[in-house]
Amino acid sequence: MITYVSAGLLALLTLSIPVGIVLFLLGFGIDQFFSSFPLTRGLGNMVWSSSNSATLIAIPFFVLLGEVLVRSGVATRTYAALDRWVSWLPGGLVHANVATATMFSATSGSSVATAATVATVAMPQAEKLGYDPKLFSGAIAAGGTLGIMIPPSINLIVYGFLTQSSIPQLFLAGLVPGIVLALAFLIITALICSLFPHLGGQRRLFPLAQMARALIDLVPIIILFGLIVGSIYRGWATPTEAAAVGVAGAFLIAAAFGGLDWTMVRESLLGTVKITSMIMLIIIGASFLNFTLSSAGLGRELTAFMEGLGLSPLGFIFVVVILYIVLGFFIETLSLMVVTIPIIVPMVLAQGYDVIWFGILMIVLIEMALITPPVGLNLYVVQGARKSGSLNEVMLGALPYVLVMLAMAFALIAFPQIALFLPNALT
Amino acid sequence: MIAWLRNVNRAVALAVGLGLLGMAAFVVLDVILRQLHTSFGGSEELAGYAMALATSWGMGYTLLELGHIRIDLLRSRTGPRVRAMFDLFAMSVMTGVVVTVAVKCWPVVARAIENESRANTPLATPLAWVQVPWFAGWVWFALMSCAVTLAALSLTLRSRGIETEPFLGPFAEQDRLT
Repeated sequence: MITYVSAGLLALLTLSIPVGIVLFLLGFGIDQFFSSFPLTRGLGNMVWSSSNSATLIAIPFFVLLGEVLVRSGVATRTYAALDRWVSWLPGGLVHANVATATMFSATSGSSVATAATVATVAMPQAEKLGYDPKLFSGAIAAGGTLGIMIPPSINLIVYGFLTQSSIPQLFLAGLVPGIVLALAFLIITALICSLFPHLGGQRRLFPLAQMARALIDLVPIIILFGLIVGSIYRGWATPTEAAAVGVAGAFLIAAAFGGLDWTMVRESLLGTVKITSMIMLIIIGASFLNFTLSSAGLGRELTAFMEGLGLSPLGFIFVVVILYIVLGFFIETLSLMVVTIPIIVPMVLAQGYDVIWFGILMIVLIEMALITPPVGLNLYVVQGARKSGSLNEVMLGALPYVLVMLAMAFALIAFPQIALFLPNALT
Repeated sequence: MIAWLRNVNRAVALAVGLGLLGMAAFVVLDVILRQLHTSFGGSEELAGYAMALATSWGMGYTLLELGHIRIDLLRSRTGPRVRAMFDLFAMSVMTGVVVTVAVKCWPVVARAIENESRANTPLATPLAWVQVPWFAGWVWFALMSCAVTLAALSLTLRSRGIETEPFLGPFAEQDRLT
């Protein structure tokens, strides 16, 4: 059954059938060939129960929040403000790219949206100030990946939903690794630009008064992030409630900055519906596949399979890491996560690993998938926002950050507490 | 015809979006009321229903905007004619699955109507009230899939298969540019 699912998955995906539909097809196949009773009878109920969810409605809320902030021009202000604060480092504006991407990912929860926003704002600046396009665009692509790690993260909500683990705990666990990654990105940028000054641009030091004025543009976003994350951690609100409050906050910020009008609201709502349905088709398909796999006795087969492998838990995790790196070259992030959860997570848990910890490790690994060619969504998004140059430049520029992520993955394996100490300390 | 369907689904999606916005407002009000030690009650249950409805009715819009993710590994390495065949094949398979899902959703609704079932919650919502519109959304998605497949088939049969890319391709044109 494991072989059937893995081979079927790759074959159907290669035929470029939509990912959500592939998951349904595999479920139908398992029902046909591996189950003694008809599982498709439960299909209707699966579709109903996996979409009738007060947890999942957090997804459209967080998407809407990000759309409103992006479309109301808040991103442009944030970028300019962060430029004032971080451009004194070696590498100049490249740091503003990473910092803006981090701040936006902290509020919006979507990596691609973050990369697209920062790229649109930043690229004209790069040309004007004569930056080397490689590192400059690579930094945007890499910074944008933090969106799926730093809470609120839509991917973590999906992981929590499919593995039935606590979303607030996942959010807590993602906070430290996310911030550490952002800092590591800044450090590696500064290092590279100190060694090879031609890759960065001019370092600029702004007068204190300008820095202080820039704070006005940053404070609303910081408050919004604090509000969302704080209320979840203090137990005042569920992730869904915090997301709804975040939407209200985003509208207030947009109104305060004068970016609120009907066109913006309409386009934000349409974008939200499109992304939500896209995610939900995959989630519903995955829930159905999960259901057929466990009904057909995947658990027993996995145990036998693992015993046959004869790997130590550590050896097994390394196999998983390599698997994600390889699959990440070809499969887009959310799909990669959702299609692997039903098979990989039960095996990992059977080895005695923590479900929250593995969620974070998986996020680091699929973050890498976002910026590794040939299928790295963020690379294309950043390239799309550039007027000239080739995709290879973005790939090369993203390479140092890929290495940082790989180091982070190994750090998480060596010291699980990087992810776990915060959730353990607060609960 | 595709342009007309896009416009209709845009309107549907906008209604869905406004519904989600309304739900967000309701949840925010509930959070505020809770600070004042009162509450509407049942906001979690309503949020679940809103999500189920938004999901089923948003699918058609995402379909017409080419928003459902496909992995483009082999397809983009082939010529325009083979590409069109890839697209037509993927779309036909999708239509088959979506129609099956819609058909399999009917027994759920039928049971709710027959037994006059109510949700096992404080609101005790009659399930038919939410499941009928939810089911209608899946039927709508199935109809949209059939319409797109038929439009593509008719072009292909008239040897104009390569013209199907704008509504069958893996990415929408605007996504490629921005």
